[in-house]
Amino acid sequence: MSEAYVTDDSLVTADSSGYDRALDGTIALGIVGFVLGLVTLIDLVSLSSSGAALAETLATLLVVVAGGVGTVALSSWANVTPVDSQRIRGVTAGVLLALLGLTLAAYAVPVTLATLLGGLLLVEAMVIATAGVVSNIGLVDTEPNATAGLLAGFAFGAFGLLLGAVLGGTVLGSGGFLWAIVALIAGIGLFALAIVPREDLGSTLPAAVVVGALGATIATATIGVGWQWNPDAISGGFTGGAVIPVFLLFGTLIAAWSAAKCRAGFGARGRQYGAFLVINLNAVLMVSIMAAIVVFVTIKGVGYSVRGSTIGALAGLVLLSPLVVLAVRTARTPAGSEEWRGGARQLFRLLPLAVVGSVTALLVSVLVTGEKLEYGYTYTVLENRESVVLDTSVAITPETTVGSLVLVLPTLLLFVYFFRQYGSLRDVGTELDRVEAVRRRLPLAIAAIAVLTGALAILGASPAGLPLGPVAGVVVVGAGSVAAVGLAALPLAGLLAGDEALPERAVDRARLFTLSVFGGLSLLAAVLVLQGPATVAPAVFGRGIVPLAALLGALVSATTATILVTATRAADETITRRLLGEELSLALAATAGYLALLGSHVALTKQNFSLGVSVANAGSLSVPMAMQPYIPLGAEPGGIFPAIVGTVWLVIGATTFAVPLGVGAAVFLTEYAEQGRLTEVVEVATNALWSTPSIVFGLFGATFLIPRIGGDESLLAGMLVLGFMLLPLVLITSREAIKAVPDEYRDASAALGVSQWETIRSVVLPASMPGVITGVILGVGRIAGETAPLILVLGSTLNSTSAVEVLNGFRFTTAPPFIANEALLSASASLPTQVWAVIAAGVSGSPSMGWATAFILLAVVLTFYAVGITARTYFRKKLNYE
Amino acid sequence: MSNAINDDEQDEQTAAGGVEIATDSVTTSGESEEEVREEWIDYRFDGEAKLSVSDLDVWYGDDHALKSVSMDIPENSVTALIGPSGCGKSTFLRCLNRMNDRIKAARIDGSVELEGTEIYDANANLVELRKRVGMVFQSPNPFPKSIRDNISYGPRKHGDIEKGLLARLFGRDDTEAEDELVEQSLKQAAIWDEVSDRLDDNALGLSGGQQQRLCIARCLAVDPEVILMDEPASALDPIATSKIEDLVETLSEEYTVVIVTHNMQQAARISDQTAVFLTGGELVEFDDTDKIFENPESQRVEDYITGKFG
Ligand SMILES: Nc1ncnc2c1ncn2[C@@H]1O[C@H](COP(=O)(O)OP(=O)(O)OP(=O)(O)O)[C@@H](O)[C@H]1O
Ligand SMILES: [Mg+2]
Repeated sequence: MSEAYVTDDSLVTADSSGYDRALDGTIALGIVGFVLGLVTLIDLVSLSSSGAALAETLATLLVVVAGGVGTVALSSWANVTPVDSQRIRGVTAGVLLALLGLTLAAYAVPVTLATLLGGLLLVEAMVIATAGVVSNIGLVDTEPNATAGLLAGFAFGAFGLLLGAVLGGTVLGSGGFLWAIVALIAGIGLFALAIVPREDLGSTLPAAVVVGALGATIATATIGVGWQWNPDAISGGFTGGAVIPVFLLFGTLIAAWSAAKCRAGFGARGRQYGAFLVINLNAVLMVSIMAAIVVFVTIKGVGYSVRGSTIGALAGLVLLSPLVVLAVRTARTPAGSEEWRGGARQLFRLLPLAVVGSVTALLVSVLVTGEKLEYGYTYTVLENRESVVLDTSVAITPETTVGSLVLVLPTLLLFVYFFRQYGSLRDVGTELDRVEAVRRRLPLAIAAIAVLTGALAILGASPAGLPLGPVAGVVVVGAGSVAAVGLAALPLAGLLAGDEALPERAVDRARLFTLSVFGGLSLLAAVLVLQGPATVAPAVFGRGIVPLAALLGALVSATTATILVTATRAADETITRRLLGEELSLALAATAGYLALLGSHVALTKQNFSLGVSVANAGSLSVPMAMQPYIPLGAEPGGIFPAIVGTVWLVIGATTFAVPLGVGAAVFLTEYAEQGRLTEVVEVATNALWSTPSIVFGLFGATFLIPRIGGDESLLAGMLVLGFMLLPLVLITSREAIKAVPDEYRDASAALGVSQWETIRSVVLPASMPGVITGVILGVGRIAGETAPLILVLGSTLNSTSAVEVLNGFRFTTAPPFIANEALLSASASLPTQVWAVIAAGVSGSPSMGWATAFILLAVVLTFYAVGITARTYFRKKLNYE
Repeated sequence: MSNAINDDEQDEQTAAGGVEIATDSVTTSGESEEEVREEWIDYRFDGEAKLSVSDLDVWYGDDHALKSVSMDIPENSVTALIGPSGCGKSTFLRCLNRMNDRIKAARIDGSVELEGTEIYDANANLVELRKRVGMVFQSPNPFPKSIRDNISYGPRKHGDIEKGLLARLFGRDDTEAEDELVEQSLKQAAIWDEVSDRLDDNALGLSGGQQQRLCIARCLAVDPEVILMDEPASALDPIATSKIEDLVETLSEEYTVVIVTHNMQQAARISDQTAVFLTGGELVEFDDTDKIFENPESQRVEDYITGKFG
């Protein structure tokens, strides 16, 4: 068939019979019904909608599906992703037809979606029953077994009991026991119907009965949208809005299973196809429920969360820079070898670059035109227990200020990336005596600065009244900065001077590059750190020397990089080009590194820097919800910054406490301890600890930990309690991961004369890293959203107005314990307790604030998750050959 | 928990039972057609013994795997160990660098001296010993690291090669020395040509035979005095095998090589002396290779070599 389809334009070829097509259609109808069941279950579309509105919704769905199918069909037709399965083609065509039919029906007959879907189930039931009969009387070629099997029998028997009970109860009333007899008869009847006849009848007729009954119930509005059932025995009840989607999901699942069996001609193949469909639809159900939660929370929370957000265009560009590098890297990865796939590969390789490029263009245009880009909408806040609608917007402003953190994080990332890209430049280029002399002395100079820094930090800036810090500081910082700029400029000078061709010159000066980048960056970093203890920040022209040097260094390095790119284009030998590539990595790393130093200087000294563009500690990026504390009496409600900070610290604290302890214990138990009584006890204990309810951990924290640390609810108590919760999981998963490392590795290492600890450190732990990280990811996912114990130990309030200052809270003391941190011992807000507090606050809690908090909590947890997954993938790649 | 108690008891029982079995087996072999005569394995040679094994017994639980083996292995020579599968060749080899210590069930009794120093001494330094007595395992076991890192792993851990950020900062970066060592070791193991352009690829991506040669190279990189090889050529094609055989012969100029092989021709080709183990863990005969293959003392050895008995 795979050769045939190339010349074959029709979706379904002649070798599928009418029977096949009808069943493909039925399966498709089942899939459509299933999806609509999901959609109505989460109330995306109302079951009571009808007429033109309903038709429009369905038409939208039709367009979306047609678009997807069309794209795939096109690429299949173009031989890019050939689809040659008749079943897939048939079902796809069926899906389109089914949607088209539903849309037309919605236009033509004025019934509700519920009725329409009931009809859908009835049609399914009829087709299945017909198919079974057709097969049974031998009109088509099938291979049914003697019976559908006991499992199917019991399943249908159970459905029968249930249906009988419900129908009997409705028709005959729930008094007496008549309904029970009806239920019993229905159950036995369906059971018999499933197992007595041959498989083709046994797996279609009972399915048709069940699906038909469900369909009829919905279509005749016996259970309609407004239907309500409040049984006396239970408080609360069921509504049609909830029951109909469930009926639909259930009915379409059975119908699809049965139709799939018919389609594959029963027997072993039929069973396989049926199971395949049921399992896949179930997987879809599971994924969509998860996705639904995320989508639901996002829809409810995103508007409130990003209200009033602005970002400076320049800051946007800086934040975008790592993505640009990533996109370029993706675009540069070599394409697959197979010619005919080139087109698609090309597309996927270039698409990210195109997207990032267009965003960059957008930001640049904002910068150039100086016009704000804005999208306005409204949101609701609670004021005196009344909902008030406020106008807001998200915007990109033409600001040229970059926040210090916004600068440091991406540039640091880029520095690490380029530095890792750099391989080696040994034995390249000529050695110059003077350069080598500098190379030898530089480490000494840096070490001396480090010693001075340490001495000043311990003795104070002015020991014994002598102004050692200020005086020496100014001299050293000034000289160091100037020297750093000089070093940064070395390669540029080397590139510009000389008379060979540019590429040759560049290769020849390779030794300047290594000296410049490693020397310049570390020198500037050293004097930057020195400024603090020396209590100086020397300045010229009203601007700090260090940031000035950093900016100059970045500019010079960027220029060098640009020249190198030109040189690479001019180079014609591969080896030259490779060497130039190494130099380019170094130059780019230097650029990023100097910018990171610039940002760090602003962040550390709290002095803004501006020269054309500005680097400041505030501004350029504003997301009030995430970056402001709650403003109790303001016109705007502010945000939940304290809660975000609290949650991040909780997670950091818990992991720093639990991960080393857990991994360490796992290493000890697996590698060192005699396997026996002790390890068994520990294993049982950790498993028990892992399944302990979180509130019990909370009680433990409240009654045991808190009296011992600070006596009051505190961040530290929260960290410890979450740490205790995380510990068993880390321990269990790390143990499994370490056990899974083959003994051959340990033997090989031991036979090389490597000690056991070294072996564990360099072979066993790296090999078990992915497993350990998986454990940490799972654990962090659990504790980040943990609420119950935090309510008891964290002491958080609703809408906290100040964030804990953990980093600034550290104080050194002369008496033990020598280090204290008030912030750790004080109460803090956290995201989950904030959500809980909003709910518990009842009418005075703003629901939209709650949703937004939940949305941010979800985002935080997913971020941790993404970081974990990235780390795991990285280590997996390192272990397994790529 | 009760398991642990049982284990302990079992161990004691084994200890007691082991001795009994040992005496048993001696009597059994005494009753068999032929007795292991002391003089057959009391091989004398000129010069120093690098390794001197005397009265070595090994038990795995109740299983008496090596029975009172004694042999002196001369320096700078190739000693082949041959014998049917399961006769204890690998066990014997593992005793020479105390790798058997790592097997829980194993119990070792007897003495092995490396240049006159007892390696089973209570305060012998295991790490040091294994540095001096290297080993190539029966099945290839490269680390899940790059080819380069596999080779330089040992020297790096021993501090012979310093690499990394700290070393770079202090100007003691031995990358060059590392590259040289990697190239030299890989060339010695006859695999350089195949991997020279992908030294940074993961070693698990190599074929079985390549992995085996990589393991040989890894062992050589540590520069041991004695090299124990457990069927190093079992997964190799004839060309690679002959390269390995050449390697073993060159090695014997500087190193003491003990090699297990199932290939009689190979043993005859490359070894200076041959030890024949037979089922049950006895060393039946140990002598110059020529002597063993041309004129063995024991009938059982002759049968084994000529293929009459496995
Ligand atoms: N780890 C172990 N635990 C228990 N018994 C073992 C262990 N290793 C080996 N033995 C037993 O010791 C005996 C000798 O095994 P050994 O591996 O030394 O044989 P071998 O001569 O190397 O065989 P081959 O040529 O097949 O590699 C065998 O009976 C084996 O079952
Ligand atoms: Mg063996």
